[in-house]
Amino acid sequence: MKNKIIENATIIYHTCKNIKNMYEYNTDDTQFLVERVDQFEKQLKRYLDGGLDEAKFKSLRLRNGLYMELHAHMLRVAIPYGVMNSSQLRALANIADKYDRGFGHFTTRQNIQFNWIELAEIANLLRELSSVDLHAIQTSGKAIRNITADPLSGLTEGEIADARPYCELIRRWFNLHPEFSWLPGKFKIAVNGAKLDETALRIHDLGLRLLRNDKGELGFSVYVGGGLGAVAVIGSETASFVPVEDILSYLESVMRVYNLKGRRDNIKRLRIKFLVKELGVAEFSRLVYEDWKYTKNDPELKLNLSHLAQLEKDFALPVKPLEISRFEEPVDFNYSIWKKNNVRKHKLSGYSIVNVSLTKLGSSPGDVTSKQMRILADLAVQYSSSYLRTTKRQSIVFPHVRKDQVFDLWQSLEEYGLASPHQGTLAQIVACPGNDYCDLAKAASIPIATRVQQRFDDMDKVLDIGNLNINISGCENSCAHHHIADIGLLGMKKNNVEFYQVTVAGETLTETIIGKKLGRSISGDEIVDAIENIVNVYLENRSEEEQFKEVFKRIGLTPFKERVYG
Amino acid sequence: MAKDIEITSVVNSNNESVQLVTVEEWLENIDSLSSKGVGVVVNPTDDVELLKDSLDKIAIIVLDFNNFDDGRGYTHANLLSKRWKYLGEIIGVNAHIDQLQFMLRSGVTSYNLLDNYKNIDEIDYSNGFSVCYQAAANNSGLKEKF
Repeated sequence: MKNKIIENATIIYHTCKNIKNMYEYNTDDTQFLVERVDQFEKQLKRYLDGGLDEAKFKSLRLRNGLYMELHAHMLRVAIPYGVMNSSQLRALANIADKYDRGFGHFTTRQNIQFNWIELAEIANLLRELSSVDLHAIQTSGKAIRNITADPLSGLTEGEIADARPYCELIRRWFNLHPEFSWLPGKFKIAVNGAKLDETALRIHDLGLRLLRNDKGELGFSVYVGGGLGAVAVIGSETASFVPVEDILSYLESVMRVYNLKGRRDNIKRLRIKFLVKELGVAEFSRLVYEDWKYTKNDPELKLNLSHLAQLEKDFALPVKPLEISRFEEPVDFNYSIWKKNNVRKHKLSGYSIVNVSLTKLGSSPGDVTSKQMRILADLAVQYSSSYLRTTKRQSIVFPHVRKDQVFDLWQSLEEYGLASPHQGTLAQIVACPGNDYCDLAKAASIPIATRVQQRFDDMDKVLDIGNLNINISGCENSCAHHHIADIGLLGMKKNNVEFYQVTVAGETLTETIIGKKLGRSISGDEIVDAIENIVNVYLENRSEEEQFKEVFKRIGLTPFKERVYG
Repeated sequence: MAKDIEITSVVNSNNESVQLVTVEEWLENIDSLSSKGVGVVVNPTDDVELLKDSLDKIAIIVLDFNNFDDGRGYTHANLLSKRWKYLGEIIGVNAHIDQLQFMLRSGVTSYNLLDNYKNIDEIDYSNGFSVCYQAAANNSGLKEKF
């Protein structure tokens, strides 16, 4: 039975190969994945035979995305820059069935995680992944991690440039880089080419923003040293304009300074943000610049612009503008609500971008069943040229849906329980697994999310509140990015009682702001009341269409504080 | 953490034993040591740039890779071989077999593995990949990829 599913997936995969809206791996890329699996299989065998000690195997397996937990093993699979096709999603569904318990978990960094992996099956699993151009390379460990991009790359009007071709080049560059695969700490890169920053690039170790200079040439401004965690820092600009063709040499210089000077002696100060802070951004930037002088003109690191042009073609839109004659959509209240929150304007006439929220009451945000994955894959074939994207908010994007088919798509989503109308509202809470599932977490996340959703169970009210983000992290590792939410909760434990530190008015879309601490932490019993109070202060003070962050800027912290603690 | 293994000599590719000194010792006595034809041991914590101006006098450079997770040796190898064009041997010592692919691609020219890797096919690990995405010291890589 299971084998049959795999065969089907293979057939569909080959048919999808004819459509292009992403880079398709050539034989070299595939060979690289195959050899990486072979290598890891040998390392695993040595570990199991006692020829490789625990500590070294840990460093090696993490670089292949494998976490060994007490009861089971977790594998994190990259969906590079969030782009995938239906056949890949179908293969992920098959893996969920065959190697996991029928589930996958989409993360905030465009990865998918499987939580119940058997060590003995890992090599076969990785081989199945490589057969659809997917892998778990460098999704963990002290290396350059999966690169993330704007999930709407190439789709929105006013975009400076599509980030994906650059992401693909950078992805290749950092795969098993001989010099930079054993860094002081993990290293996360995000790239944005759009006006709004959906990637939160300044909370990354390194963020790249595409821009044009006065001469109209394309380049990147580079931000280094951002990050959340126990010490939240906004990345600083180290270069205001690096021409696109020089980006790899510039990245190498950043990595070289970090590799040589980054802290390795203090486990709490491993990330590059601490190095930038210790040296000061001016000195750090100077060191990078000094190094870059030697490599800037290295022909081996110059981007070949004709190859770049080929990649841009690979990522070209799979659809042409459409003149759709008038079409009627049935009047449906639920549809209109869903459409308002989940559908966005596509740059091509005749198309829409559709967001599918994966948040469901009582379950971990980003969790999907294999059945849902197959449904999404089928719907993408039917409605979106076989392509999908994953987002930082753990949702799925259908990038190219004909305007006159949006209603049909919604009906199908509704039928399978995937038409949550709350994209961007407070019902779409971002939460980490919390202490129900994670050994590191100090407090619960999902039960709090569920209680908030229960408190705001009146959809009319949720929609009236509108765009408002609540993010809940169960510990200082900040996996749910609570610092950059309108309302962020950080779980902690005091005398065995769970408490939450509340931050408000964080954001990243138009500028990057770390949320302000509201005051003393609040117990789990009182936290939902506190959130309701914060929301009420917002509602009472907003003028029409005013967003939470705008109200906060106008009235400040005090009214919120007084209501919550008063 | 790396154990403090003091390395005092190394055998070069001509099977000659070469006496080794630390970076600090070298910098203090460059003239007298260079006439003796000694080599220099560079540990991950050393500032390799201090050797830049006297590289042509150093008989051999030894990089210690005993600390598995410390990647500074790879940058040291790259700077020595590619940027500063050091022409002598760069020997990686106390090496673990899983480090070979990174060592050789960064500019290490020969190596001594730690004892526990005696029964493993080294070729398999040093040339484990037929394709790679970066130009590297021991191959041209897939230059066309960029």
